[in-house]
Amino acid sequence: MNKQTLLAYCLLLPGLGLIIVFIFVIISMALAQSVGYFNFSGSSKFTWQFWQQILADNQLSRAFFYSLKIATISAILSVSFAYPLALWLRDPFRGAQFVSSLLKAPLLVHGLVAAFLYVNFISFNGFLNQIFVHLGLVSRPIRMQNDSYGIGVIILQVWKQMPFALLLLTGAVQSIGHDITDAAKDLGAGAWTRFVKIILPLTLKALQAALIIIFIGAAGDYSFQVVAGPISVSSLSQLMLRIQANDANGWNLSATVAILLMLTALIGSALLALITQQVIKWGAKR
Amino acid sequence: MNKPCTNRLIILLVIGFCCISLVLPFSLAMLWSLVDPGHPWSYPHILPPVLSLQRWVDIWTTTSLPQALLHSYLLAPCVALCSVLLALPTAYAFGRLEFPGKQAAQLISLLPLIVPSFVVALFFSSLLNVLGIYSRFLGILIGQTVLFIPYAIRILSVSFSLIRQEIIDATRDLGGGPITVFKTAYLPVLKPGLLASIIMIFILSIEEFAIAFVVGSPDFVTVPTILYSYLGYNFIRSNAAVVSLILVVPNIFLMLLMERFLKARNTAVITGKG
Repeated sequence: MNKQTLLAYCLLLPGLGLIIVFIFVIISMALAQSVGYFNFSGSSKFTWQFWQQILADNQLSRAFFYSLKIATISAILSVSFAYPLALWLRDPFRGAQFVSSLLKAPLLVHGLVAAFLYVNFISFNGFLNQIFVHLGLVSRPIRMQNDSYGIGVIILQVWKQMPFALLLLTGAVQSIGHDITDAAKDLGAGAWTRFVKIILPLTLKALQAALIIIFIGAAGDYSFQVVAGPISVSSLSQLMLRIQANDANGWNLSATVAILLMLTALIGSALLALITQQVIKWGAKR
Repeated sequence: MNKPCTNRLIILLVIGFCCISLVLPFSLAMLWSLVDPGHPWSYPHILPPVLSLQRWVDIWTTTSLPQALLHSYLLAPCVALCSVLLALPTAYAFGRLEFPGKQAAQLISLLPLIVPSFVVALFFSSLLNVLGIYSRFLGILIGQTVLFIPYAIRILSVSFSLIRQEIIDATRDLGGGPITVFKTAYLPVLKPGLLASIIMIFILSIEEFAIAFVVGSPDFVTVPTILYSYLGYNFIRSNAAVVSLILVVPNIFLMLLMERFLKARNTAVITGKG
């Protein structure tokens, strides 16, 4: 190893080294506790008991499918809203700068604040209900808070994550040269054909990045779920924290949920990215 | 179809949407924070009957908000400083050195961003238990510092890569020692990046919820955890409105400040002067 390489690796230690050790130790901690080690009370020994217990629990499967649903729908909706906006902002026009910073404003709003604003807006005594009643659309306020489908959570996720997708997609869309889209136009391709055969394949990387990051964030969501989500079902993060606090074997059981949550986030987002790639390839070839 | 006309229509639609999804909810929060405790705002009042600053006074004098603010604003500068200091060597290596495995290393440095934050928070707190670290402040400080190093690495490695070798060489040729080289070639280019990453991590730390909540609860409060306590099961609307505003408004100003530093970087690149 030459001197410069050695120097570089030494320099990585305080920053990157610390990150690797931190994440490695935390994941090992979860793995160890899920099979019965590091018990804070009682004896520590290897056992599959906690895995068997949690996998038989139907709360887990409900939380799993719920988180999967919220994450998939939020990721797909966010990019579907971001694409037309990114294409629209591709050519500079008067006020484009203003519009784009307006669209990115939710990035500056804290998740919990967003959740509060939303709940405040739609609550039984809230603004929306007042307007509905005053307009005579409904005779009595309707109950919209903590809806049982998780629509509130999805609205919040999309509101908060769409600007992020827009940020990634705007960069990708802007790097496509006009000559290529103009050439397609001259050859008689309509707007939709150009989108499917040129824009989508050329922005695939940014699209996948946006989908993966939004999926992971939404799959691990706790705050939106607790404030605006359904009461009858938990997200995986919520289940993990609740089990940890309430169960006698809290740490061990929540460790199994933590590992399942990480696997869901990683495998789910990878699958979503892969399927997107296949669909776009298929669409471009057709 | 007339293009400028449709464009204007879409702009109006976007602005309208932002008004409904941003301006209106914030105005409502503002109003709710000003509702007088003696005159509740409920149906059929379209607007609050009496406005006063009583809520702000109440929440300041009767809740742990001052303490939460103190904790948050003490933690944030410490976290920002530690993260940036720890990130500097790695950022230098990423920005100025070539070595095998650099791309993989850059990818791995983003690891904290893809592990769900509550998993990190929960098993970090269990790690603190094992290690016997019971200081909440220290625990949150360590956790947030490591979690935010990637942001500092990203901003600073770009800064390091912008430093021009000619200027370093010229300074050396003119007889400048290491300190002079650092002052003339490094510092002017690094400064905006340093300030930007400090502000960025400051904001991230103020807003961080998972670690502050899991490690800190129940006795160590920060601004987001106190906001959380007013949401959910015991939803106290006016208090939540006050804390929301306290959480959002300063950070927006800080964010604007940060953008200015990052823009200043561009001029440094173009002119090479910094």
